[in-house]
Amino acid sequence: MGFHRINLTVNGEMEQVDVTGYMTLLDMLREKLVLTGTKNGCAAGECGACTVMMNGEPVNSCLVLAVECDQALIVTVEGLARDTQLDPIQKAIMDAGGVQCGYCTPGVLIASRALLDRNPDPSESEIRAALVGNLCRCTGYIRIIEGVQEAAKM
Amino acid sequence: MVQIIGCENRLTSIVRLGISDRLEEFYNTMNAYPGLPEFDYLKPETYAEASEFLVTHAGEARPFIGGTDLFVQMRDRVLRPKYLVDVKGLEGMDEISFDNSGGLTIGAGVNMNRLIAAPEVAEHYQILAEAAQSVASYQLRTRATIVGNICNASPAGDTIGASLLLDGMLNIYGGQGMRQEALSTFFLGPGETILQTGDIVTSIWFPRPPDGVKGKYIKLGRNKLSDLSIVGVTAVGYPDADTVSGTHFKLALASVAPVPLVVEKVGEILGVTPVTEETLKDAAEAAMEACTPIDDVRGSARYRKLMVRNLSLNALKDVWHQLSLLNA
Amino acid sequence: MVVSETKPNPVGESKPRLDAREKVTGAAIFGDDIQFGNALLHARILRSPHPHARIISIDTRQAEALPGVKAVVTGKGFPGYIGLYLLDRHIFCRDRVRYVGDPVAGVAAISEAIAEDALELIEVEYEILKPVIDPEYGVSSEATLIHPELDQYQVASFILPQPNSNISNYFKIRKGDVDSAWDNCAAIVERKYRIPHIQHVPIEPHVAVAQVDASGGITLWGSSQSPFAQRNLIAQALGISQSDMRVIAPYVGGGFGSKAGVSMESLAVAIATKVKGRPVKLLLTREEEFFTAFVRQGLIAYFKMGCDGDGNLLAMENKFYWDSGAYTEYGVNITRASGYSSSGPYEVPNVKTDSYCVYTNHPVGGPMRGVGMPEMHAGLEQCIDELAQQIGMDQVEFRRINCVKEGSILVTGGKMHPTGLLQCLEKTAEAIGWGHKAEASAANKRRGKGLALMWKAPAMPPNAGSSAWVELAEDGRVTVGVGGQDLGQGSFTVAAQMAAAALGVPYEWVRVATPLDTRYSPYEWQTVASRLTWSMGNAVVNAAKDARQQILEMTAEAWDEDLENLDILNGMVVSYKSEREIPLENIVIYGLPKADDQGWIGGPVIGRGKFMPDYVTGLDPETGQGERAVVHYTTGAQAVELEVDLDTGQIEILRGAAAFDVGKAINPELVRAQIEGGFVQGMSSALFESLNLKDGYVQNPSFVDYRIATSSDVPGGIQSIIVEVPQDDGPWGARGVGEHSMVPTIPAIANAIYDAVGVRFDGPPFTAEKVYLTMLEAGIVK
Repeated sequence: MGFHRINLTVNGEMEQVDVTGYMTLLDMLREKLVLTGTKNGCAAGECGACTVMMNGEPVNSCLVLAVECDQALIVTVEGLARDTQLDPIQKAIMDAGGVQCGYCTPGVLIASRALLDRNPDPSESEIRAALVGNLCRCTGYIRIIEGVQEAAKM
Repeated sequence: MVQIIGCENRLTSIVRLGISDRLEEFYNTMNAYPGLPEFDYLKPETYAEASEFLVTHAGEARPFIGGTDLFVQMRDRVLRPKYLVDVKGLEGMDEISFDNSGGLTIGAGVNMNRLIAAPEVAEHYQILAEAAQSVASYQLRTRATIVGNICNASPAGDTIGASLLLDGMLNIYGGQGMRQEALSTFFLGPGETILQTGDIVTSIWFPRPPDGVKGKYIKLGRNKLSDLSIVGVTAVGYPDADTVSGTHFKLALASVAPVPLVVEKVGEILGVTPVTEETLKDAAEAAMEACTPIDDVRGSARYRKLMVRNLSLNALKDVWHQLSLLNA
Repeated sequence: MVVSETKPNPVGESKPRLDAREKVTGAAIFGDDIQFGNALLHARILRSPHPHARIISIDTRQAEALPGVKAVVTGKGFPGYIGLYLLDRHIFCRDRVRYVGDPVAGVAAISEAIAEDALELIEVEYEILKPVIDPEYGVSSEATLIHPELDQYQVASFILPQPNSNISNYFKIRKGDVDSAWDNCAAIVERKYRIPHIQHVPIEPHVAVAQVDASGGITLWGSSQSPFAQRNLIAQALGISQSDMRVIAPYVGGGFGSKAGVSMESLAVAIATKVKGRPVKLLLTREEEFFTAFVRQGLIAYFKMGCDGDGNLLAMENKFYWDSGAYTEYGVNITRASGYSSSGPYEVPNVKTDSYCVYTNHPVGGPMRGVGMPEMHAGLEQCIDELAQQIGMDQVEFRRINCVKEGSILVTGGKMHPTGLLQCLEKTAEAIGWGHKAEASAANKRRGKGLALMWKAPAMPPNAGSSAWVELAEDGRVTVGVGGQDLGQGSFTVAAQMAAAALGVPYEWVRVATPLDTRYSPYEWQTVASRLTWSMGNAVVNAAKDARQQILEMTAEAWDEDLENLDILNGMVVSYKSEREIPLENIVIYGLPKADDQGWIGGPVIGRGKFMPDYVTGLDPETGQGERAVVHYTTGAQAVELEVDLDTGQIEILRGAAAFDVGKAINPELVRAQIEGGFVQGMSSALFESLNLKDGYVQNPSFVDYRIATSSDVPGGIQSIIVEVPQDDGPWGARGVGEHSMVPTIPAIANAIYDAVGVRFDGPPFTAEKVYLTMLEAGIVK
C-alpha cells in the first residue's frame, strides 16, 4: 500500500503529510497532526462529533479520505479561536450552557460556525436543521440552539 | 438440544449458524471494521484511464465520488475493494448548467448542498432540491451527490423519486464512449443497476420541465429530519391540456419495493376525470396497491402500505393545491 | 451542617462551568486523546457469535503467527471473577459464552487493522446451548441454567441469588395484607408492560489504555465514571494489590451509567499483562458500544393496584422480571432498587412486590440513568392515571391525595423525610396548564397533556463513601482533590463552589485536580446514583472546613485572638474584634511569624474531609421491611403537551415542564441543564429507542437504525422548576438530580398520548408505527 504526500492548510498552518490511501481525514488530524479536539464518535457519518470545515463547508471527517485533502483548507475546533479570543459561537454556546460532557461540542461548534457563515441570521428551524447531524446526549439541544441564536446576534 | 458445530472463525460462523440473510446483515454490522479497511487510492486524469483501470481490476476496484455510502458498506464488510478510483476530479464532474432549451445537467461530483443552493434548480426543479434537502445532515450533504444517491440504488434513495418523475437521464462514460441511459430502466434491484464494469456516470440530465410543474416530497422517518425513510412519496403535477382533468400527475415511492417505484396508475386515474377529493383518494389507494414493501427494522410492510396511502394522498393534495393557486 | 449565609456565598449562584473553556477550544483531553507514542499497541476483541454455547477449544496459533501481532489472549490465564455486587463474570470467557458479543479472545498488534485481521485467524469450537431470551421463561424450571455455579459466586450481603435457577437476585416486599385489601377497593387496575433494552449512547465510545510496568504495577487510562471501583475490582480479579493498580480517568464524553463499574476496561488490562511495558489501547466501535457495553436491561412488569371510592390507594401488587442479560454483577442491585421503591412516590398501606433479576442470553444489563426507576415508573405512573380515571377523579388530584409527604410510611416501613413532592406536582401542573385543553394545530392532529410523578433514591451499598482534600498555593488559590468524575453534569464546578463557600474564597480562586488518578485523588465509591453533590459535596465541605480551621487556628495563635472572632472572607483572614486582616497568600504555605521574631506558626495547609452515611439499615429478606432502606429520596414531577398526527401516528412533543426537589440548588443553571437534558433523554427513550433483540442478536447496533433524539425532535422549551426542601445531611441541604429528570418522561408522554387519542400501549417506544396501528385497531383512524 503506497503513501501519498499531501499539502494542505490546517487552522492557518501549512502542513505536509504522508498518508495511506485509506486514512481518513479524522485519523490524519488526530494521529498525524495531533489535533485531538476533533472526536471520533461513530466512524459512519451519523454522529457529527468529527465535523470539521473543509474548504469552508462542514464535512464528517470520518468519511473523507486524507488523500482527498491535498490543497484543501481545513478548520478544526482548535482553529476557531484567535489566540485567546474565542469565536462568538464558542462564547455563546458556553454562556448558554450548551456544553456538558463536551464530546459533541467540537462538531457542534464547527457545524454552527458553518451555518452562520452561510446564513448570518438563521431562524430557529434553520438552526435545528443545520444541527441534525450532530448528536448530543447530554444537553437536549435546547441550550445549543439558544447559543447559536445568541452568536448570530454578536 | 445440544448441537456440535466444528471449528469456525468469525465469518464462517454465519454460514454454519444457518441464520437468515437479515441476521447476517446485522451480524456484519455488529462486527463493523474499526476504521476503513486497507485499499489503494487512485485519482486518474481522464475518463479513459479511470474506465480502463476499473475494467482491468474488475471485482477489485470501485469508482467513488463522496463515499458516504461506500465507506459505511466497507466498514460493515459488505464490500472490500482493493482499489478506490476517485472520479470526482474528472472533466465536467463538478459542473451544473441550465438553459431553457437544453435542460439541466448536474455533474456527478456536484454535492447536494450545491444542488440545493443552485438558483436554476430552485426555480425550475424545486422538487429535486426538496428531496435532496431531506437527505441525512448538512455535513453529509457536503459529500453526498445526487448521482451517488442514484447509483447506490437503495430503494430508500430520497432523490431518486424526483429524478424519475423529472425524466432524468444518466450520462455514462463506458467502454464504447459516452451513452445515455434513462432512469426508468436503470434499477434492477436493491443495490443493483444496469451499470457495467468500467462505466462511470458523468452527470445526470433533466429536460426542461413542463410549464407550471409543482411537486411535493413527503418523507416519513423515525426522526423528523436526518433519518432514512420508512416511506418516501414524491408527487409532481403540471397543467396538461391533453388530459380530461387538465392536469398530469405523477407519483413515485421510496422504501416500499425492491427498486424505486413509479406508480403509473396515479397519472391515469387523475387524468381521465376531473380531479376531486375522491379521485385523489382513488389514486392514493392505487399507490398502496402498487407497492410491495417488506418488514424490516424500520417498519412493517403493513404500516408502510397504509402510509403510502395516507402520504400519497397528502402529497397529491398538496400538489393539487399548489396548482390551483397557480390557476387562481 | 448548614453554613452561615450572611457572608459572600457562591453556593446558589449559577457560576460558569470550570471546564467550559477547555471544552469549546478542543483542549479538553478525553481518553482517546492521550498520546502514547509509537510504543502503543492496539487491541481488538474476538466475540461470541452465539447467544449461548460452551467453548470446546480455541486455537490461536495462526493469529499469533501473523506479523505485527504481539499477543493473543484468552480466558486461560485469567481464572478470577469480576463484578460489583455479584462476582459472576470472567474477564475473558473460559468455558462458556453467554451472549452474542461475549469476549472470547483479545489480540494486541501494532495496528488496529492487523489486530482486526488476526481475529479472523482464531478458530473456536463451540457446542451450542439453548439460549434463554425471555426472563419469564428464564425463571421457569425448564430454562437452561446460564450460571450453574451461581451458588458459589461471591455476593454482597443484601443480594439474594436463588441457587439452581437463573434468578441472581430475588427481592420481596410484604407490607400489610394485599390479599384482603382488594375487597375494599372501589377500582382496580391490572396491567402488564414490556420495557425494551436500550443503550446509554454516550457520544464518546468506551476507551481504555493499559500498561504494565517492570515491577508489575498496572496503569489504566480510561473513560470512566468509577476509577476507584475499577481499581478495586480489576485488582481483585487479577489477584494483585489494589495499590499496584492505578486508574487515571480524564474527561468523560458522557456516561449515563455505561462507564460505571467495570465493563471493557479489564480486557485491555488483561491483554497488557502479556505485552509487558507496552501500552495497549482498546477502543470500542460504535457498533460494539451498542451490544457489548452495558445496556439498560429489559423489564416485564405486572402491576395491580386499587383504591377506595375517595381515591385513597389501598393496595399494590407488583411483579418485575428483569431481563438482566448474561452477567448481572451490577444489575442485581437495580432489581433491589426497583423493589424497595416499588410503590412509586405514594403511600400505600398494603404492598406486595416480587422483583426478579433474571439471567438471559442477552447483552449485559448495567446501571443507566435512573437505575430501574424509568422502567418501573413507565408502567406504574400509567396505572395511577388509569385508576384515577376509573373512579372519575382528576389525575393531579389523585396524586395529591396519595403522594408521599413528610412522615408517610414508606413501602419499606420507614418514614419519609421532608419532601417537596407536592409542590413539584402543583407547580408542574400549573406550568403545563393542567385542565386547559388547547386546540390542535391542524385538522389531522390531536393534542394532549400528560403528567407523571417520580421518586428515586441513590442505589448503592449502605456505606458508599466519599473523600476530598483542599490545598492552597502560595497565592492563596485553592485546589480541590476529589475522586468523583465530571461526566458533563458539572460535579467539578459544584465542588469548587462548595469549597469556595466553605473556605471563604472567591469561586474563581478554586480549581479541581484533574484528571482523576487513584494514586493522587481521594477515594470516591463511584460517580453514579446522583450522589456526588450530596456525598462528595459533604466531603469537600468537610475538607474545606478543615483547611479553614487550620488557617484560623494558626492566625488566632499568631495574633493572640480568640478563634471565634476570626473568619475568612474573600480570601482574607479577618478579625471581627481587632479588625486586623491578612490575605491568605503565603501564610497558607509559610505560616505566620510569632511575635518578636520568636519563630513561626503553621505551615502548608491541606484540609481533608470524608463522608459516609452510617444510618442505612438492612431489610428483612422475607418482607423487605426495615428502619431506613435508603439515604434519601429525590422527588419530582414532569408534564408534557404533545400532538399526535392521525395520518402517520407521529408524536410531536410541543413543550415540557418539570419540577424536582433538589434540596438546595448549588448551581441553579446546572440543575436546569440536568432537568432539560434528562427530559430529552427520557423523551428519546419514549419515542425512538429500543435495542431490537431477535434470538439474542441485536438487529440495530448502529446509529442508522438505533435512533436517538436529534435537534429536530426536541420541544422548543422545557420549563424547569427548582423546589428546595432541604435534606438534613446534604451540603446546604442539597440532594442529587442528575438521573431523576428522565424517570417520569415515558409515562408522562404515554398519559398525554392517551389524553390526545385514547390509546395505550404495552410499552415504549411509542413509534409512529405503533401509535398508528394501535389507533387503527381502536377505530380512531381508518
